[in-house]
Amino acid sequence: MKRISTTFAVMAVIVLLFTACGPAATAVAPTAVPVKIGEVTDLGGVNDKSFNALAWKGVSDAIAQLGVDGVFLQSTQQSDYAKNIQQMLTSKEDLIVTVGFLLGVDTATAAKANPTQKFAIVDYTYPDCYPGAVEGKDCGSSTDLTNVRGLAFQTDQAAFLAGYLAAGMTKTGKVASFGGLQIPTVTIFMDGFEAGVKYYNQKHNTSVVALGWDSKAQTGVFVGNFTSTDDGKNTATSLAQEGADIIMPVAGAVGLGSAAYCQTAGTCLIIGVDTDWFVSSNEYASVELSSVQKKIDVAVLKTIQDVVNGKFTGGTVTYALADGGVDLAPFHNFDSQVPQTLKDELTQVRADINSGTVTVANVLAAP
Amino acid sequence: MAPVLELRGITKSFPGVLANDSINLSVEKGKILALLGENGAGKTTLMNILYGLYKPDKGQIFINGEEVAIQNPSDAIARGIGMVHQHFMLIPVMTATENVMLGVEPIRYGIFLDKAKVAKRILEISTQYDLEVDPNAYISDLPVGAQQRVEIIKVLYRQADILILDEPTAVLTPQEVEGLFKVLRSLVANGKSVIFITHKLKEVLAIADTISVLRGGKVVGTLNTKDASQEKLATLMVGREVNLVVKKKPATPGGVVLSVKDLCVRDESENLIVDRASFEVHAGEVLGVAGVQGNGQTELVYALTGLAHVLSGEISIMGKPLHHSSPRNILERGVAHIPEDRQRHGLILPFPVHDNLVLCTYYQPPFTKGLDLQQKIIIETAEKLVDQFDVRTPNVFVPVSTLSGGNQQKVIVAREFSRPIKLLIASQPTRGLDVGSIEYIHSRIVEKRDEGTAVLLVSPELDEIIALSDRIAVMYKGQIVDIVPAERVNKAYLGLLMAGVKSKEALEMAPTTSMEEVDRVT
Amino acid sequence: MENVSPPKPAVSENKQGGNSKEKKRNGSKLFQTLLVPVLALLTGFIIGAIVIALSNDAVIASYRNIFRDPGAALAATWSAISVAYGSLFYGSFGSVTEIFHSIQTYYSTGDSKAFLLAIYPFTESLTTVTPYILAGLAVAVGFKCGLFNIGAEGQFGIGALCSAYVGYAMHAPWYIHLPLALLAGAAGGALWGAIPGLLKGLTGAHEVVTTIMMNYVSFRLSDWLLNGPMKASGFRPLTPVIDNSAMLPQFFPDPLRLNWGFIIALAIAFLVYWFLFKTPIGFEIRAVGANPDGARYAGMNIVKNFVLAMTISGALAGLAGAVQVLGVDHWVGQGFSSGYGFDSIAIALLGQSHPLGVVLAALLWGTLRSGATNMQLNAGVPIEIISIIQGLVIVFVAAPAVIRWIYRIRAISTQTTVLTRGWGK
Repeated sequence: MKRISTTFAVMAVIVLLFTACGPAATAVAPTAVPVKIGEVTDLGGVNDKSFNALAWKGVSDAIAQLGVDGVFLQSTQQSDYAKNIQQMLTSKEDLIVTVGFLLGVDTATAAKANPTQKFAIVDYTYPDCYPGAVEGKDCGSSTDLTNVRGLAFQTDQAAFLAGYLAAGMTKTGKVASFGGLQIPTVTIFMDGFEAGVKYYNQKHNTSVVALGWDSKAQTGVFVGNFTSTDDGKNTATSLAQEGADIIMPVAGAVGLGSAAYCQTAGTCLIIGVDTDWFVSSNEYASVELSSVQKKIDVAVLKTIQDVVNGKFTGGTVTYALADGGVDLAPFHNFDSQVPQTLKDELTQVRADINSGTVTVANVLAAP
Repeated sequence: MAPVLELRGITKSFPGVLANDSINLSVEKGKILALLGENGAGKTTLMNILYGLYKPDKGQIFINGEEVAIQNPSDAIARGIGMVHQHFMLIPVMTATENVMLGVEPIRYGIFLDKAKVAKRILEISTQYDLEVDPNAYISDLPVGAQQRVEIIKVLYRQADILILDEPTAVLTPQEVEGLFKVLRSLVANGKSVIFITHKLKEVLAIADTISVLRGGKVVGTLNTKDASQEKLATLMVGREVNLVVKKKPATPGGVVLSVKDLCVRDESENLIVDRASFEVHAGEVLGVAGVQGNGQTELVYALTGLAHVLSGEISIMGKPLHHSSPRNILERGVAHIPEDRQRHGLILPFPVHDNLVLCTYYQPPFTKGLDLQQKIIIETAEKLVDQFDVRTPNVFVPVSTLSGGNQQKVIVAREFSRPIKLLIASQPTRGLDVGSIEYIHSRIVEKRDEGTAVLLVSPELDEIIALSDRIAVMYKGQIVDIVPAERVNKAYLGLLMAGVKSKEALEMAPTTSMEEVDRVT
Repeated sequence: MENVSPPKPAVSENKQGGNSKEKKRNGSKLFQTLLVPVLALLTGFIIGAIVIALSNDAVIASYRNIFRDPGAALAATWSAISVAYGSLFYGSFGSVTEIFHSIQTYYSTGDSKAFLLAIYPFTESLTTVTPYILAGLAVAVGFKCGLFNIGAEGQFGIGALCSAYVGYAMHAPWYIHLPLALLAGAAGGALWGAIPGLLKGLTGAHEVVTTIMMNYVSFRLSDWLLNGPMKASGFRPLTPVIDNSAMLPQFFPDPLRLNWGFIIALAIAFLVYWFLFKTPIGFEIRAVGANPDGARYAGMNIVKNFVLAMTISGALAGLAGAVQVLGVDHWVGQGFSSGYGFDSIAIALLGQSHPLGVVLAALLWGTLRSGATNMQLNAGVPIEIISIIQGLVIVFVAAPAVIRWIYRIRAISTQTTVLTRGWGK
């Protein structure tokens, strides 16, 4: 016994010594601010370098700029979604931000059970029921929910700029995009990209080809997952062999494999999606022309701002190029290579999109 | 001159056991000291202390008159102490040379292993001490005796002056034992000293200069070999008078129980290891199978018990043929098997004694009713058997691994003998056991024979074969080269057969008084 | 030289231990069995406390001034650790006073809402524990047969998908639907376990390799199923929600999710105990696990037992997935299994492969997991700290020498539990 207690004493001292020289960590310092924000992540966790991280960046920005209080709960299992939302309800957060479609049903269920609680769900909107689906089970809600704000993004607008840029930069006259799965959140990027290329062709009377997606026929190249970098490499290889020298992979981590291929082969450039890849995957900076950004952080920050200002509304709120919810990332290393005329044209296109004179649908519908 | 090695008052206790109690020993230069004692007498503990594996609680160690503290095996090696363990510490997939150089690899040009140098040194050592070994042979290909020689070379390569051999003959055949003794004599002739740990009385008398007998952790006697006799040593060792001769009545053989015809078996590497073996065992007789280990006896037994695949030939038990029957099927036909490797085959070591006692019958009534194991009945039965077969165990609930080798063997014997059996296949039933246990197991086997059970006894120990058998078959290179009645045979003749000499020549070389009566079957 | 001492009578060994002695021995055996896991747990928490303190800004800040104000530094450390573990405890078990007061409220006003809220943390813990019990048992059965079933993860996922399919695609009264859905989960897992068992038994392929590969097959298969045949509709990789008739009934109204799955898990644990230790089949499985050569000698069929053990192991893991789907989630989405199978290896190790030990280990594991949510929220301690503590506990249990060294415990018995044998033969 004596030895055991001695060991404890020694360990206690070690605890104290170690704690004296540890690195600073990123815990949230509680401050006495009335507005409380709680984020519930999906399985990716808060450091996923993607949606969850961006949403948390929005909360963090709000903490810095608006002085709100923010916490997050990470889900590690499917059963955590409902539980974590419940936990946020118990701790009486002013706004509960849930991330991603996996939380769609549980968010709606909790929102209906707690009609005075404000929610925001990232990249998801209500009503979400499809024919034959059972409300509260297969889908969250068949009607708009007034206490849930669905954050939607017009990524096609930014992808339009990317397509225009690609068409202006290509040397082979061929550009390409490909997807992870053929689902609306993916194909919307590819629609915009295709429209951008088409619009460039109209303006310049060129015939740049956009490979990998045909919005009319609704067919294109999809690798079937969002994780295999091998698939990304293989797809980029075949697209490059077909002559594409600028590729936009809309397939999460799969795209990193494509970037790796382009960096080795030297025959293609990459346009990233969701985040600015120059920041998030800087190892491929030498082939990253630009990125189509889905600025979830901006959307979350704006939503929190609305809560703070008492202007929170439910329903679907779409964030677009005009309000900075989506954007084309800076060119970074390629800034000097993009001709000033193209930059000026992009500024004009952006203005036209914002004013509504140019829309993706119209461009695609044009003969 | 001071002795090469002297131990004074060595004491070592483990929780609940005083393993060594103020032990004094001394070894002279160029002499062989035998350390004799039953299993559990404290021999191995003492040697592990000497080799630095344990620290003594009390006592001093002197080497060449100088007191030393041995903290670990490296210390021991540095002081010239070398140990050959009972279970060899060799790596089977490496060659003899590689095994010898492990841990002391000589380096050439900075990075290359200098194998040639080691091989040369091995050859030097082997010629100097009669240690015949092919330096380039893989350990897995070597017979046990040769593996032991590699172990000894390993120790000599590290320049040991005092060699400790822990039960070195336990795994050897008579010929190999002779070979080992030759090596030991040549070692001491070259100025080395040897500590020879054993429980075998004959060997001690044959090889040792001095004998120290251990019992219950104490040295109960130290005597010169010329003053010793088997009876004297056995009495010292066991603490009571021991019956060294198996008493048995002449056999009264009945009908054929086991009949084997032209049996062929392949071993794991697809070599024909049992080659057209034919023999019969009758009820109420012991057929002994003699032979140098590795001549197919193991595989023969495996084939008979369903553990090995039969290539061709016929086996029948009580007239009914055995065609690729499962081990269980064979057991259920009344075959009992005391396996050669009791820890590998005979027991489930982590299981309690009572479960091991029903290992072959647990699924039958009364031990199982429907899907329920009848724990109560199993325990009662086990307690009865433990009593009946004199298994020394605190209770039937302890794992069988905690029992001594002799008691483990008694558990197997109790289990096998408690079933209704017609044929007993006993493979090296006394391997590694102490005198007391050997005496017990032997008498039980004879008892079984007298009850009318057919017994097939397989053992590389010729003494055991001769003592127990009514007829003796000799196996060489997978063949049964001869079957002779035990009372008409002499040891020299059998030894020659075992070494591969044709029976005709063997008869000329070792004539018995009644040669022409020798019953030749093959 | 000659100093022969007179022969003494042989020391008679203690043959029959007295009854009290036997009890004492069993008591000390239990103590020995529990000692290492308990100390491992303790050590895990102590190191966890270090990490918590290290990752706390206030603590770090206070140590910058340690020489000016050592008291504040100690206080900050203490508060960081106690807040973290306090909220962990609260999150796992709730508060006794709250429960007590809520019962009073119920009796005075008839309002049960406060009571339900007060017992929420504890019921949530038990809900979390449920799949861990079953998955832990799965791995433990494998260990008992000397097999290292790393495939519980895949078996869990397949089991979940199978029961979900029966749950939404079939329509029947509950007394048919629910058992069938459970059975489907067990059958799916059993199939996933039987394949490596067969490969091991017939070809000697090592189960560690084959079960890992079966995991990948299961992951990709579920990706495909969730994006294709089993997709509810639209674009989301989720199955439809199962029918009410296939759901395991909850004991309390929402949001208390504790359901019959917990009772099923306990019952199965007892069943596994009975099977392993009280039936001849379990006897064989354990014998094969402890010494396959010996088991073969005794007439047992090794191949049969390998296949049987892996099938049962898979069925248990599949049942864990089924219970989770039918009791808690009610649908299956991408990333469904996420670690249950791997955690279960740890639980089986911690529980020393004994069904009772597994239940205890799963209780510990699940309550830690469950309480971590509250700790994450109220103490700002990331949920990963629980993984660190759990990981450390496993390391210490797997390497008991470390614990014995830290606490200077002498190894009493050299007997070690054989979990699996090495590679190859």
